[in-house]
Amino acid sequence: MTERLVDSSEILSRRILAIDDEEANIALLRNVLEREGYTEIQCLTDPREGLSTYIEFEPDLVLLDLMMPEVDGFELLEAFGRHDSADEFRPILVLTADTTIQARRKALALGAKDFVSKPFDVIEVGLRISNLLETRILYQRLRHR
Amino acid sequence: MQQPLVKPSLRFWADRPLAFKGIVVIALPLAILLGSLVSLYLASDAETRAEDDVRRAFAIQRDAYQVHALLAEAAAGVRGYVLTREERFLEPYRRAEADLPATMGRLDIAIEDQVVRGHFEDLRPVVAEKREGLRSTIELANNSVSISPADVERSFVANKLALDAVRSEIEDVQRAEAIVLDRRQLLVDEVRTGFLRLTAVSAAIGLLGSIIGVYLFSTGIVRRVSRLEDNAGKLARGERLSDLPEEADEIGRLAQRLGRASALLRAREDDLRASEERFRLVIERVRDYGIFTLNRHGVVTSWNLGAERIKGWHAGEILGQHFSRFYPEETRDYLPADMLERARDQGAAEDEGWRVRKDGSRFWANVVITALRNEVGELQGFAKVTRDMSERRRSEEALRLAREEAVAANRAKSEFLSRTSHELRTPLNAILGFGQLLEIAEEEFEKHHREAIGQIAKAGRHLLSLINDLLDISSIEAGATELEIEPIDVAPFLEDMHALAAPIVASAGLNFDLEQPELPLTIYADRRRTTQVILNLIGNAAKYNRTGQRVRLAADTERDFVRFIVEDDGPGIAESDLPRLFTAFDRLGQQDRARVEGTGLGLALSRSLAESMGGDLRYEPNSSGARFCFTLSRTHQQASQPQSDGTEIVK
Repeated sequence: MTERLVDSSEILSRRILAIDDEEANIALLRNVLEREGYTEIQCLTDPREGLSTYIEFEPDLVLLDLMMPEVDGFELLEAFGRHDSADEFRPILVLTADTTIQARRKALALGAKDFVSKPFDVIEVGLRISNLLETRILYQRLRHR
Repeated sequence: MQQPLVKPSLRFWADRPLAFKGIVVIALPLAILLGSLVSLYLASDAETRAEDDVRRAFAIQRDAYQVHALLAEAAAGVRGYVLTREERFLEPYRRAEADLPATMGRLDIAIEDQVVRGHFEDLRPVVAEKREGLRSTIELANNSVSISPADVERSFVANKLALDAVRSEIEDVQRAEAIVLDRRQLLVDEVRTGFLRLTAVSAAIGLLGSIIGVYLFSTGIVRRVSRLEDNAGKLARGERLSDLPEEADEIGRLAQRLGRASALLRAREDDLRASEERFRLVIERVRDYGIFTLNRHGVVTSWNLGAERIKGWHAGEILGQHFSRFYPEETRDYLPADMLERARDQGAAEDEGWRVRKDGSRFWANVVITALRNEVGELQGFAKVTRDMSERRRSEEALRLAREEAVAANRAKSEFLSRTSHELRTPLNAILGFGQLLEIAEEEFEKHHREAIGQIAKAGRHLLSLINDLLDISSIEAGATELEIEPIDVAPFLEDMHALAAPIVASAGLNFDLEQPELPLTIYADRRRTTQVILNLIGNAAKYNRTGQRVRLAADTERDFVRFIVEDDGPGIAESDLPRLFTAFDRLGQQDRARVEGTGLGLALSRSLAESMGGDLRYEPNSSGARFCFTLSRTHQQASQPQSDGTEIVK
């Protein structure tokens, strides 16, 4: 693994919100994140609480499923986008079993920063998560300067 | 064409060309004139000869008279000599002796008439006797010194008798010659009279002949030409031509041509009339189309069976009515007039809409109104064709519904596939994810647990590839696959394929040959799907080639297609297995090949993909090993399967 620009402890201390209606997948994500060493993890299986949790918890990264009952991932993407100010960089990683090109395009167009198809490789997902968080930290540093 | 009979004699004349007739008409009077000139010449010749004869007759009379005169003078002289013995009295005798032979000779030549010659022959001895008598008298006077008066008297008497005989013969000659002369003078008169008559007759005949010739020539031709003109007029008016005699000259030929033209025209007219009649009958009997005509104001003037069937009116009820009654109330005020105006301006007007039947019921009609114009473009009326479209409208509606249902069904199928994919992947995500986490942490487990974890992960991956392939096939078959057709250059693409598949082939311990096509080629295909097919083929070749040394990737052209070839030098495929080669889940020789991993869907999926891009995938027998040919189009074409969800990715 290459040297990171950001200390890994700083990455691991960041807040991560995972939203997936499937218990088993939430459990898997929590497992992966905990194994990586993340401490601030919030998991949701009811997407209706997505926006309020997003606002309250103020995550640094969101792991988002697309196909969910009541409120789907696209709606949440739009809601998050509306909530955040334009100069905010708060990465959303879409994890979905919908492999169609349309879903991929739509999610990325609505502001998702990355897209991974299920079933995913746990190591790959871990790496993408840390990369996105690193980018966010760098972005924040740049803004505070 | 009926021909009036022509007399054979006239026929010959009628058949001659006009130039011949002209020459004859001019030559006839000329010939008569020439003939009369010749006869005139002959007549004048005959007159001359007759006058010569008269002259000769006069000469004969003169010579005869001279013979008598010479002899009479000679006799008188001799008498004087005998009486006087004076020499001077012998002078007339000597002159007579000198001239008589010549005069007699002239007469001998000049006399032609047999009667005259008879008298002349009688005269000749008498003259000779007289001359002899005169000579003997002179001798007598010379020899005897003294002559007895008796002798003298006797001699004189004898001489006198001889002279009388001569005179009598000469008179005979002259009389006969006078008769001949009279006859000849008569002849001259006759010849002259005949000549005058001949001249008069010739003049009369020449004049008459000229008049007849000119009359024949001019009136015949003029009459025929004027009849021809009549016929030409009839031809122009389309009437039947009057029959003209069949003659072979120019006018006759013209007449014949005119006749033939008329016959031809008549035949065409008959054909036209027959075809018009046939057409009318056909139109009348058409049942599926209402075909009828309108006059310039829109009043119905003809009505066929189809119109009766569609609209309900009989011809007798509707002829003479205005056609606006076929329109429903809401359009009756403007649409009929508008249709006629459009037809008038643009030649035809078409409309589709509601029309009314006799019983007031409505039907959906397609109507075409065509303006009918004569050859100078004046509007004669309109032809109107009406079709009852109610049935078609109903079936179109049914078709539209069926199409919508099909589209909906297709969409439902796509949605089902998409959901199925999602629903299968979601639990598999947890299974594979946790399996992977367990594998990562395998040192924490006992050996037999590690083995179990490995089996779970392997089975899960296999299940995933099964699901992927199955959904791929279903989605292609449902037409739900989106293809991104783009031009792909074959050579660099083959390079990529070779690089991408090289590790697979190498891991099987085989050589991997790449053979580029000779010319630069371009295919129109979905890059990802094409890659998928070729990798599948190379993967198969590597997997199943256990006995050979190599796998070969090549491309060439086949008509409008590029053919990718993947072949190996392995055991190949048994002929008995070929029919099932592209069947899903039918892994050939599964028992023997248990060690080979695979879903059994690869070739079926590859073929579906090839076909969805308008290409083909087939197995070709190869002398050594297996050979698969994958063709793709070199031209841009519509993919074989329609898009069901309305997205337009294939262009």
